[in-house]
Amino acid sequence: MVSVINTVDTSHEDMIHDAQMDYYGTRLATCSSDRSVKIFDVKNGGQILVADLRGHEGPVWQVAWAHPMYGNILASCSYDRKVIIWKEENGTWDKMYEYTGHDSSVNSVCWGPYDFGLILACGSSDGAISLVTCSGDQQWDIKKISNAHTIGCNAVSWAPSVVPGSLIDQPSGQKPNFIKRFVSGGCDNLVKLWKEEDGQWKEDQKLEAHSDWVRDVGWAPSIGLPTSTIASCSQDGRVFIWTCDDPSGNTWTAKLLHKFNDVVWHVSWSVTGNILAVSGGDNKVTLWKESADGQWACISDVNKGQGAVSSIADGATNEQ
Amino acid sequence: MAARWSSENVVVELRDAQATAMSVDCLGRHAVLSGRRFLYVVNLETPSEAPRKIGRPSKWDVGTVQWNPHKAESHVFAASSNQRVDLYTWRDGCGEVHASLQGHTRVISDLDWSWFEPEYLVTSSVDTYICIWDTRDTRKPTVALSAVAGASQVKWNKRNQYLLASSHDGDVRIWDKRKPNTAVEYVAAHLSKIHGLDWHPDNEYILATSSQDNSVRFWDYRQPRKYLNILSCQVPVWKARYTPFSNGLVTVMVPQLRRENSLLLWSALDLNSPVHAFVGHDDVVLEFQWRPQKEASKEYQMVTLSRDQTLRIWRLDPQLQKLCANDLVEDLIEGISLTTESEKSLPSQDPEPTIHSCGLPAEHLQDQAGALTSGGRHDSSALPQTLQQEFSLVNLQIRNVNVEMDAVNRSCVVSAVFGTNQVHLVVKFPSHYPNNAAPSFQFISPTTIPTAMRTKIQKILTDTSLQKVKRNQNCLEPCVRQLVSCLESYMTQEDGSAANPYVLSNPVTPALPAFPRVTNTYGSYQDANIPFPRTSGARFCGTGCLVYFTRPITMHRSVPPTEPTPRSLSALSAYHSGVLTPMKMRSESQSSLRLYSGSPTHTDKDHVSISSFYYKERKPPQSGLRRWSIHDCPKSRRFKTKREGADYGNRPVKLAGKVIIQEISCLLPVHKALGETYILNVNDIQDTCQKNAAAALVVGRRDVAKVWALASAATSLELSPDSDPDADAPWARHPFGRHLLETLLDHYSLMSDVQTLAMLCSVFRTQGCSQDYFSLYGQQRSSLFPSHHSRYPSYTSSSVSSGSCYSTSDSTTTTTWSIGRDPEHVPPLGESSPDDYRYANQMYTDPREREREQHDMNKRLLDPANTMQFDDFKKCYGEILHRWGLKDKRAEVLKFTSCPPEPHKGIEFGVYCCHCRSQVRGTQCAVCKRFTFQCAICHVAVRGSSNFCLSCGHGGHTSHMMEWFRTQDECPTGCGCHCLLQSTF
Repeated sequence: MVSVINTVDTSHEDMIHDAQMDYYGTRLATCSSDRSVKIFDVKNGGQILVADLRGHEGPVWQVAWAHPMYGNILASCSYDRKVIIWKEENGTWDKMYEYTGHDSSVNSVCWGPYDFGLILACGSSDGAISLVTCSGDQQWDIKKISNAHTIGCNAVSWAPSVVPGSLIDQPSGQKPNFIKRFVSGGCDNLVKLWKEEDGQWKEDQKLEAHSDWVRDVGWAPSIGLPTSTIASCSQDGRVFIWTCDDPSGNTWTAKLLHKFNDVVWHVSWSVTGNILAVSGGDNKVTLWKESADGQWACISDVNKGQGAVSSIADGATNEQ
Repeated sequence: MAARWSSENVVVELRDAQATAMSVDCLGRHAVLSGRRFLYVVNLETPSEAPRKIGRPSKWDVGTVQWNPHKAESHVFAASSNQRVDLYTWRDGCGEVHASLQGHTRVISDLDWSWFEPEYLVTSSVDTYICIWDTRDTRKPTVALSAVAGASQVKWNKRNQYLLASSHDGDVRIWDKRKPNTAVEYVAAHLSKIHGLDWHPDNEYILATSSQDNSVRFWDYRQPRKYLNILSCQVPVWKARYTPFSNGLVTVMVPQLRRENSLLLWSALDLNSPVHAFVGHDDVVLEFQWRPQKEASKEYQMVTLSRDQTLRIWRLDPQLQKLCANDLVEDLIEGISLTTESEKSLPSQDPEPTIHSCGLPAEHLQDQAGALTSGGRHDSSALPQTLQQEFSLVNLQIRNVNVEMDAVNRSCVVSAVFGTNQVHLVVKFPSHYPNNAAPSFQFISPTTIPTAMRTKIQKILTDTSLQKVKRNQNCLEPCVRQLVSCLESYMTQEDGSAANPYVLSNPVTPALPAFPRVTNTYGSYQDANIPFPRTSGARFCGTGCLVYFTRPITMHRSVPPTEPTPRSLSALSAYHSGVLTPMKMRSESQSSLRLYSGSPTHTDKDHVSISSFYYKERKPPQSGLRRWSIHDCPKSRRFKTKREGADYGNRPVKLAGKVIIQEISCLLPVHKALGETYILNVNDIQDTCQKNAAAALVVGRRDVAKVWALASAATSLELSPDSDPDADAPWARHPFGRHLLETLLDHYSLMSDVQTLAMLCSVFRTQGCSQDYFSLYGQQRSSLFPSHHSRYPSYTSSSVSSGSCYSTSDSTTTTTWSIGRDPEHVPPLGESSPDDYRYANQMYTDPREREREQHDMNKRLLDPANTMQFDDFKKCYGEILHRWGLKDKRAEVLKFTSCPPEPHKGIEFGVYCCHCRSQVRGTQCAVCKRFTFQCAICHVAVRGSSNFCLSCGHGGHTSHMMEWFRTQDECPTGCGCHCLLQSTF
């Protein structure tokens, strides 16, 4: 049964813009217009405030947890044009690094797959995307894709490191050469795919379907199938699911998931990549799942803030 | 002075009309004036006739009125009134409303008929929408452009039928009506509100904007960052429009400010000074429109409406038109000759003014007569009054400057004090000033500046005044300003290079502040490209959790729910002043609002936050307390009555909602319980399958239980393949063999059930390969076992390191490996290196070998071609197990991945080949192709795991070494080294 297991009162003094749990689901990080980032221990239904991170000088838009193999690391981005990377050391959280290379609000941060090391992608309203890599002891390496999106970049999301199409046996017995790839969405109504070639970031694909600003993109986690899937949502209320079966990653086909009546702000994939959570300006959360015949259907309507869930498909997956 | 009134020929006075807007039809026959209670239609051919009236029962003033510019529809005009546009038909002296356009939710700020399609009308409103209407379908707009901020002006492009421009405070947006979702271009045009917008009549890319910031700017919208040109004025500019003849521009200063000659004609080629001033209106000019050129006439007529309710018609003869086309340089060079030329030509070109007047209500004849007589007196005493008028209107609020004016003696004294210097200047105006007669300038004591400077200033002033009077303009104010700027430059660069008089010739150049991009205000118009923040969201986290946050139920949007959430953060700019109409100067709001100010709490009363968008404040925020109030959203009212008492509104509202963590693992195809209970016992596949089937039943996955039953059947020993390729076809070739398994995998792939996929792949990997699984890796695997407990530092050959993929986690289960090598697969030694052997099946030259290899492939239930994909399943499932904290289980699954060995990254011992003594890495010598290292015990080449003494360098097969050192402590070669003692560092 779908059930609320915890309701965390964050005591933020202004509206919340993002909430995210860590890899194991034991800690919750939230950020708000009150310029703070808070971390709660939510193990076993508890809610203990672990840290109240102050450092941003404007509303904080998004947080992102790094993979735990690098320690407890959290990145946050804000209207104040800064990206701050926080790290827990001996139980106390502190600034690990502050990136100030953007000229406008930083709207999105996303950590890359752990196989690539500690690498953070940041999308900003100045149109650029920065890739901040930890290259050792407190050394940070910056690569910037300027003018990635005209007017501004609103979202970034990394591709899983399991390379789809790797089903073809590697000929020389070498470890498959993982290509770093991510997807971004921006005010030019475009979804763009980027990949690293010889240490340089290049635009790989440009996906056009939205008729207004793209607000979020999400690259679905891979379970080892050769298909890549990306979800994108936009101010125009549309959510598109992009799929690519082509091992070279060149042909993407769009399928309209749904047209909502208001802006769609966020898309999030479940760990198995088959359920999509969609949320937007209408203050509602809906869950979507692809049926066996390839149609996307709303399986659950998480009601506004009251925790009441009418799961249409409760247990339906179990009856297969 | 007749020349001054030359260009005006008609005055119509409309008493009590309270007209606010005016429009001239495209034929130039009628002007419609919008009054409070009536619309007045003036016949411009016979302006003396009383205007016709159209009743208008509305409490709202008319915002904008405009005739349809197409000849076929010239009898139609549109008038906006609050949220509505009424379309009037004017026929045979009668007018009536034939349609109304309703769609805006706030007051309409501007409207404009399309220049290309007679049915199309665009309207802009403070409700942030720009609507394009097809007047044949009046029910709703055909296109609605959403602009986040309210628009004050909207104008169709005159050359491109798709383009239109709208102004939003200081910004201009260019729209293509075919792309209604977003503006084509943004131009951050002005620092303050734009009052007027006009497209160039001939160039589709150029437009002029006039603004509160005292400037008119010219733009090519393809270069939105930099204006083409700027016309700096000292007062806000109400309108700036291109003239129908080339290179002309007419400007009107903002009405409210002061009584001045605000109607000016400029040449677009020379923005330093106006070409002509239209003097005549006693009050501010509200509107001006052009009548089309009559046939065979070169003159244009301009119709103006003033706030004093007079309508004037001005003639612009070709001479004036030519002045607009004049080039500045030419003008200066030919200054004198031009002067003489115009002296000759101007009077002859100026016809006597004919003043018609007509009162609106017939009973005001008396007043008209009065007006007429006053007009006549005005006319007759034009000359002395002109100077007096200039004196009374001149704006000399200049620091350190005092002007004593004596209109009777036609002179004035200008006194200026700059630091230690004083300047006193007498200006004498000749009797026919300003009709091409410049005043004289003379310095009087106690002027303290040097003589050279005096001469220079005198020359500059004469030049300036000549330029003005040549165009029939007043010159006192420009001259005084010129004097001030000369003195200032003299003060500052006394020893610097002399100022170029032409640079200084612009009398009004207040230094414009740089565009304050850096000092950003949260949510201001500069944030137009920052997305509106999320105030609700949901995210899948961990494995089975959905974390979501929404706005508190008490917070609702202060805009109607039908309106979509704005796109950009700049929507908040509306809340900066608490009102949506930003008549307020931008600079004011910027100075009072600081993003980085103070604490994050709401004590700062001007603090604007995203939460401002979500509810209205009942009171202006002087209390500093944010309140929730009932507003027109029906939902909120319901909540109010249902949930809260009447005092709710007095409590501060919580701005942050709760974050809710929901367990949604039931929706996922993977189960933590199964992850915990599933086993992978390679020794007893049957048992594994049965136990896993039972586990699947417990969590309710009957389908998976069946799959395990099938797996159990398919892995039964009776079906295990024969090692002889010539025996029966292996079970894998049976429809229930590999095919069945593939179907199952496909099915669970569709369900994204990576758990079942990974488990099936693991089980069938062990089963299908029980004999030959290690045929490829066997020799390395076998050498892996003894390597884990040697007291010797281990020399690990690169091939052994292939085992490292099993130790990605804290696995301790390597000892469970019990599958031996296929004895048939002893590789041919010597010819090929082990590395070659592993991946190069083509190395088999013997057809029997190839056949056997083929058979090995066929025996497997899992298609070997997809091995990598099966590995990916296991890795992904391993990742999920890791998130669940089931590290042992993860290791068990990852054991079955077949990923090729990673390149060896640890320490490698280099050895010298025992045959040719060359330095070798690995087991085979690159020079002599023989195995490099011989076992000290059996004297056979060591290819697998080996141990040797770091002290004496002797060693051999790990097993032999172990055996030896179990009983001995000296080196087996007899070198005398006490290896065990030596190597205990």
